[in-house]
Amino acid sequence: MASYARYLIRRLLFMIPVFLGVSVLTYAVGNAAGDPIALIRIGLRNPSPAVLQALREYYHLDQPVHMRYLNWLWELLHGNLGTSVTGRSVGDQIGAWAATTLELQIISLLLAIAIGIPVGILSAKRQYSKVDYAVTTIAIFGYSMPTFWLGIMLIIVFSFNLGWLPSSGAKGMTFLWWGDPLLDHLAHLVLPVFVLTYVGLATIVRLVRSNMLEVLRQDYILAARSSGLSERTVTYRYALRNAITPVVTIVALSFGGALAGAPATETAFSWPGLGFAFARAALVLDIPLVQGITIVITLMILTANLIMDLTYAMLDPRVRVD
Amino acid sequence: MSDVKSESQVEQAKESGSRSRSASQWAVAWRRFKRNKSGLAGMAIVGFFVFVALASPWIAPFPPRSYAGLFSGAAGAPPSWEHPFGVEPSGIDVFSEVIHGTRNDLYVGLGATLITILVGVAVGAIAGYFRGLIADTILGITQVFLVIPALLLILLFARIFAALVFAGLGLTLIVLILGFFGWSGVALLVRGEIFRVKELEFIQAERALGAGTLRIMFRHIVPNVLSPVIVVSTLNIAGYILTEVVISFLGFGDPNTSTWGLLINEGFTYIRTEWWVSFFPGLAVVFCVLGFNLMGDGLSDALNPRLRE
Repeated sequence: MASYARYLIRRLLFMIPVFLGVSVLTYAVGNAAGDPIALIRIGLRNPSPAVLQALREYYHLDQPVHMRYLNWLWELLHGNLGTSVTGRSVGDQIGAWAATTLELQIISLLLAIAIGIPVGILSAKRQYSKVDYAVTTIAIFGYSMPTFWLGIMLIIVFSFNLGWLPSSGAKGMTFLWWGDPLLDHLAHLVLPVFVLTYVGLATIVRLVRSNMLEVLRQDYILAARSSGLSERTVTYRYALRNAITPVVTIVALSFGGALAGAPATETAFSWPGLGFAFARAALVLDIPLVQGITIVITLMILTANLIMDLTYAMLDPRVRVD
Repeated sequence: MSDVKSESQVEQAKESGSRSRSASQWAVAWRRFKRNKSGLAGMAIVGFFVFVALASPWIAPFPPRSYAGLFSGAAGAPPSWEHPFGVEPSGIDVFSEVIHGTRNDLYVGLGATLITILVGVAVGAIAGYFRGLIADTILGITQVFLVIPALLLILLFARIFAALVFAGLGLTLIVLILGFFGWSGVALLVRGEIFRVKELEFIQAERALGAGTLRIMFRHIVPNVLSPVIVVSTLNIAGYILTEVVISFLGFGDPNTSTWGLLINEGFTYIRTEWWVSFFPGLAVVFCVLGFNLMGDGLSDALNPRLRE
């Protein structure tokens, strides 16, 4: 247990430089091109003098850039994400978006894991069978497809042509789908969840399959089989445990990828989340809002990575040793 | 293993006396790759797209970003013999744009991958071969780049630099930004491989026999590191093309250059009526990326020494 605690502390300490690195990059972006006010003028056609004044104060333009960064970081560490160029507090705006994004991503991730692992095992156990070919083909298409494009195609078929499902948003604007607020929300979730699950699934299935194949070939599996253990025990108790550990890493990485890819998927579905907000804010160069969203998404990814590290250490005792 | 190897060595000896050993390794890899049907299919798909990209000025019926359909009355027309992929409501022929996009998207994929290899191998080699503070710092920076939500920063960089400083760079700006954010995976891979290979017995034997650092580096470490880099780079091309599509779809790309993402973006406005505008470029993306992924998987199987029999 002591080794586990030490490992946890080491991982937590690693998060600090990563977070600082991201904060430097995020902050540098807003200042990379010189005067941040000039930048905002490009996005906002006619900012009012009051807005410009607020911006000058926000950026502390009388100070050198490293002082401005430290100032920004200080405020950030106190939970103050600054003020958007529209004059609203970034922190207040982000909360609701973060919740809708996480709802979509976590549901899809859990579904992808729940379906991906058994399907990957099945595919590996029946290597070169028809099932295996079907699974690997479907998986590699999911792996090669722009997520948002698949979303657009499904919207064309299921929303515009068949009229079965809503095409955009998280809730009905003019009427409720399926007659109830909760069912209405579910109806809006179906297409985005399907798309994200399919794409997440593809990665997981491929990895589980290839790891299972590698593990099933090893001597200790042969030994387990020859000592008369049932195929079920060999697969799930002996092979899966070794095949699953790299999957944990990939799950965290693909969760991070899905979060970073949220601008495209959420734009396709007009899903009112962080990604959709990011795409709009970045287009009009609302730098404070963009910085805030980037920081929040980074924190989500770091949290996912931490959970992954802990799971990994639980599944594989070797990583806890220095 | 010994069978395949000795056989190829005999062949090698027949061809050119007893030349370098590494050439026979590549011959073995090629033989293994040839047996892999999906890998070959991937290579064929990639070859097809490369051909289209190179021949695009001659095979596309209309020049890039041309509003020809506006004058012939074909604006917004569905797919037909004359316009196989249909026409945008603005009069742009989708088939021609997909062909021109092939060239530009491959440029982005290959260009960004080249930068990734140059930076990644250099950084990985330094972090893997040297020890101490510099190597640790480099490793730390690499890990930061691995965790950051790169796509968000890529979008931001693209928007800001296109708006302010490098407005004339067009797609090359996207290539540079993708390369800047994409090298960390290759760097970690190269570092890990160097760590692994450096400690192998045959290297120690070579060293004990008096071989110098340079000989060990180029005769043994480079060839060993090369094969995983080739595999990852093939998959990287696919990844960069997908990222470029996202960038252009969201409107952060170069609006004056034909790319698949830009077409999907334009089509997104008309999905209720003119579905073909975003359907066909997306299909091109899927098949092109699929080709690179299949080829990368095939190469991975062919070059992975653990799977050799």
